[in-house]
Amino acid sequence: MKHPSSARRLNQLSLPLQIINHLFLGLMFLSMLIPFLYVFAVAFSTRQGSMAAGVKLWPDHFSLDGFRTVWERADLGTAFVNSLSVSAIGVLLELFLSLMAAYVLVIEQLPLRRWLAGLILVTLTIPGDLTLISVYVLNKQLSLLNSYPGLILNGLVSGFAIMLLKNYFEGVPGALAEAARIDSATEFQIFRLIYLPLSLPGIAAISFLEFISKWNALMLPATIISDAKYYTLPLVLKQLTLSSESTSGIDYIAPNARMAAIVISVIPLILLYVLAQNFLIEGLTLGATKG
Amino acid sequence: MILPVLLYFAVFSFYPLILGFIQSFQESRLIGQAEFAGLSNYQAVLQDATFRQSVQNSLIIGFGGLVLTLSLAVLLVLGLTEIRLKCFKQSLQTLTFLPFLFSWTVIGSLWIYMLSANGLLNDLIKLAGARPLVILSNMKAAQPVFILSAAWKNAGYNVVILMAVVSGIDPGLYEAALMDGASRARQIQHITLPALRPTLLMLVLLGVTGILRNFDQAYVMQNAAILPRIRTVLLYIFTVGISQFKIGLATAAATVVLLITLGLTLLTSLLISRIKKSWL
Repeated sequence: MKHPSSARRLNQLSLPLQIINHLFLGLMFLSMLIPFLYVFAVAFSTRQGSMAAGVKLWPDHFSLDGFRTVWERADLGTAFVNSLSVSAIGVLLELFLSLMAAYVLVIEQLPLRRWLAGLILVTLTIPGDLTLISVYVLNKQLSLLNSYPGLILNGLVSGFAIMLLKNYFEGVPGALAEAARIDSATEFQIFRLIYLPLSLPGIAAISFLEFISKWNALMLPATIISDAKYYTLPLVLKQLTLSSESTSGIDYIAPNARMAAIVISVIPLILLYVLAQNFLIEGLTLGATKG
Repeated sequence: MILPVLLYFAVFSFYPLILGFIQSFQESRLIGQAEFAGLSNYQAVLQDATFRQSVQNSLIIGFGGLVLTLSLAVLLVLGLTEIRLKCFKQSLQTLTFLPFLFSWTVIGSLWIYMLSANGLLNDLIKLAGARPLVILSNMKAAQPVFILSAAWKNAGYNVVILMAVVSGIDPGLYEAALMDGASRARQIQHITLPALRPTLLMLVLLGVTGILRNFDQAYVMQNAAILPRIRTVLLYIFTVGISQFKIGLATAAATVVLLITLGLTLLTSLLISRIKKSWL
């Protein structure tokens, strides 16, 4: 039975606090939503529409002009293919290497196991960005400047991902592996038939996170790439922002094209989020608490 | 099987670290053998007013951003847990999280356009009949813009982490408090906030180690007019080393920054263990 006075005993904030809370959250909601809305509205506007005065939160005439311009004139197509292939190959290669390494770290009989894990942990404390200059020199020595292998190899493996994988592997019951060993399964069989399937959610989470960080990488590509042929999406976007500052010249790229470039570079990430948000969030929380 | 990874780290992590350290003691030359230069690179870096200012900029933007990001995240988490309307809660959380997934090139160009002469903000101001503001090339606005946009981008990540903590709190605690006649506000103060504290401290420590590592944002959102206010240490190292090719100077700067980072991290973790002891 609901009695009018029992409403007071509902575990809720007092009315003034509730109003403040709703105002605050509403404000946050708008401040997050409006920029995104704005980007989409301008991206799908015509060139004239995107340059006209007035608040634009909806396209003037639905138009794909911006996308066409940026795809053809700024060569975003090449950059998109570069970004996609470099990130995808990078993630596959990284997974292959990291899975092997993480598995080795959980095999108990291995001598020096702790020492090896320590060595990988140490790489986490080396700020890669502070060794930027020597990384440039290294790439020069290996002739990786302006090349696809350079884009893939720099920042390929992360100690963080290996430690996370190791964490997932440790969650696999050791008794299972023991039983398989008694049945004279090889280490590779144990890995493939027991560890791999049981840690699949973790592996998925890590692959998504690593794909995102490779897709978004800016500093290393900016360091080793100067030839536009090898530009990734972030490098092209940076270039477009620069060209927007100098308003003179024939090379002016209209706002609708610039916003279209943003839409193109976030679409894969939004898709990834929609498809795999639970994996992503699990990976992030585990990374923060265990990392 | 672990060898490829070890080899990778040897080449791409340890070697550059050592190489950088050696180069910081050398006179950089384009041709021929490098010469030992003692501490002269360090002397030059420490006397360089631009470098000192870049350290200051990094600290202001970094600490400002960290404090604002975490405060916003805590307020959002506390606010969101009081919301019963599921779809609003879910969509606000998704909206705040998305910018964290996007690169600084995306967020940077978005904000540059929003704040530009013909951007949304000035469109709104013009609509209200006021005079448009000059923001992007305004020295005074530069650091606040950097701090705000960083908080806008990163709050969502912290919301996710803190939300996981809140959902792990035993609901029995709240029920017991309700029985004892504690108001919701007091429950938040005495149950939710204390539960968040350890994770919050960890996020602070994580943030402090990253304070001097701001490259992407500064690289994307820089322009000549505000450079003196937003040149971060990494932007300094990048410009001096990659664009001007003064390798000795740049690697010396990197080593100094590494030492400052170590110092800051050590100081913060000491402070945190102090705070944790005071809870006992």
